[in-house]
Amino acid sequence: MRQWVAVLTLLAVCFIPPNRADAVSSQVIVCVQCHAALNGQLSQPVRLWQDSIHAEHGITCNACHGGDPMDSANAMSPARGYRGVPLPTTIPTICGGCHMGVVKYYMNSAHGRALGRGGPTCVTCHGSHNVIRASLDLISQKNCTPCHTFDKARQIRTAMVKTDGMLQAIDKRIKVLKSQGIVTDTLEKRLFSLRNRSHSLYHSLDVNLIRQESTHIQAELEKSNGDGGVGTGPLIGILAIGGALLSALLFYVIKKQIN
Amino acid sequence: MDFFKNLYDWIDVRLGMREIVSEKRSGYLLPPNINAWYSLGSVLLVIFSLQIVTGLLLMLYYVPDIDKAFTSVAFIMEEIPLGRLVRLFHAVGSSMMLMVLLLHMFSVLFMGSYKSPRELHWLTGFILLLLAMGISLTGYLLPWNQLSFWATTVATDCVSSIPFVGKSLVEMLRGGKQVGIHTIGRFFTLHVGLLPAVITILIGVHLFLIQRTGVSTPPFGLDDSTNQWKNEKFVYEEHPGGIPFFPNFFLQDMISISLYFACLFVFVFFFPNLFIPSTSYVPANPLVTPSHIKPEWYFLANYQTLKLFPSEIIGITVQGVAMAFLAFLPFFDRGAEKHPLKRPVFIRCAIGGILLWLGMTVWGYYS
Repeated sequence: MRQWVAVLTLLAVCFIPPNRADAVSSQVIVCVQCHAALNGQLSQPVRLWQDSIHAEHGITCNACHGGDPMDSANAMSPARGYRGVPLPTTIPTICGGCHMGVVKYYMNSAHGRALGRGGPTCVTCHGSHNVIRASLDLISQKNCTPCHTFDKARQIRTAMVKTDGMLQAIDKRIKVLKSQGIVTDTLEKRLFSLRNRSHSLYHSLDVNLIRQESTHIQAELEKSNGDGGVGTGPLIGILAIGGALLSALLFYVIKKQIN
Repeated sequence: MDFFKNLYDWIDVRLGMREIVSEKRSGYLLPPNINAWYSLGSVLLVIFSLQIVTGLLLMLYYVPDIDKAFTSVAFIMEEIPLGRLVRLFHAVGSSMMLMVLLLHMFSVLFMGSYKSPRELHWLTGFILLLLAMGISLTGYLLPWNQLSFWATTVATDCVSSIPFVGKSLVEMLRGGKQVGIHTIGRFFTLHVGLLPAVITILIGVHLFLIQRTGVSTPPFGLDDSTNQWKNEKFVYEEHPGGIPFFPNFFLQDMISISLYFACLFVFVFFFPNLFIPSTSYVPANPLVTPSHIKPEWYFLANYQTLKLFPSEIIGITVQGVAMAFLAFLPFFDRGAEKHPLKRPVFIRCAIGGILLWLGMTVWGYYS
């Protein structure tokens, strides 16, 4: 029947179709096209990247490796900015191109000061191609103890637990609100900003500073948690339903009396 | 009080209001055994009026453009006072309208009210049902969310299976190869302009036909429940000793309308996501196909039927034949008996058909 409804509608309208289609075609960059088709190790970065947070947000190969992702002939031309595998000492600057707050704290931390002398860079903890969403799980015995003891790292992690929990709770709440049709743009922007501030702070490795700033961030998060109401409460609904049922009853009584 | 009496006198002298009221009280008599099912027509009139009012209010802020439609609906729901309520009334109301329309149709079917001389009543009512489904389909796309975009893509895609002209028809309907900017323009024009106008005219014709023939007598509580109409000359079906429309049956209308509002409020205030699932709050993305695309509940049976047949054209033909049979039922069913329990073949076919439709709908939902 749906088809017949469509045909009837069509006959009623009789508009002339324009010639062009409006579909948006997806663009796959040439780096992915070539490397995905290669064998072995050369295709591995594509597979790892496809599951990463970078792929989710559309951050492609050229953001770190340079080059021209739209021109297969010159994709790896130094003239187009191709830099190949970045040198370890340049990694914080490359990542810091986007993660500006993080690189500032990192450079002033013990990690940053050891850069080029065996100290960790961004990829040491976050990985290079399969970069996953930053979480407290990164601060672990496995990641930290190859270089030093876990004591200070544990203190930092403990100081971050509450804030991280609040960030996750608000993130979940935003998803629920969205599923109810509530516009959450402002709330999302505020959460994004506070999450960045919080995640940047962790890279300072300064426990006192983290504790102090976390208190401020938590206060801000508390404020955000109050935003985005569903609208009318159940009371108005109950009153409306009750009113309708009452009027039905009233009309019934009048009808009975008249009959 | 004097003011109102004077005002009434002033109008009465000019328009003869007392005569109209008197005529409706005593002149327009309904069958003595009339039942509550007869009030569904009035309920539908109220629903349609409410859809027009809420639709006009939504049009104040809605923008029929693929870049702005979703945000304009979000703006209505979030920023406009009572905007959320108006949108829910409109969206939930469209589903409720179809439910009440189906109930109205079933009651007419079971009480044999479609029988001669009321073939045209049934036919206009049936076309109204199709138009209501059409106006719901066109309105469904307008919020431009993932669900509406993909459901419309699937729905319009089915037309392509019509031999020879199918693909051209789909392009004409969509205004291009894909659902896009021209589709929303066309659907918007149909939804707010053409279809409401045609529906209003057909409602007028439907009411005119009822006024001309008189209200049919229900088959219940009578010794003789056969159709008394003779195919000789025009006769208005009178009901001597019947009950006046005003105020008696008007009060029954008001009871049914109040109960309808109670049901509407239950859905609007407590179960709005039953008709507007969470995927409706995600903007349309032509590049991301949701895993399970399902049409609205009233198209689920058609959707599932199409899937059952090896070729879509067979599925469409079968449904077309079934729809045509239903549309022209009064011309096939010429028996005089109206009572459903005295029509054993009919009652089996009707209940079987309804169960089949329900079964296909449920199957379509869970498939």
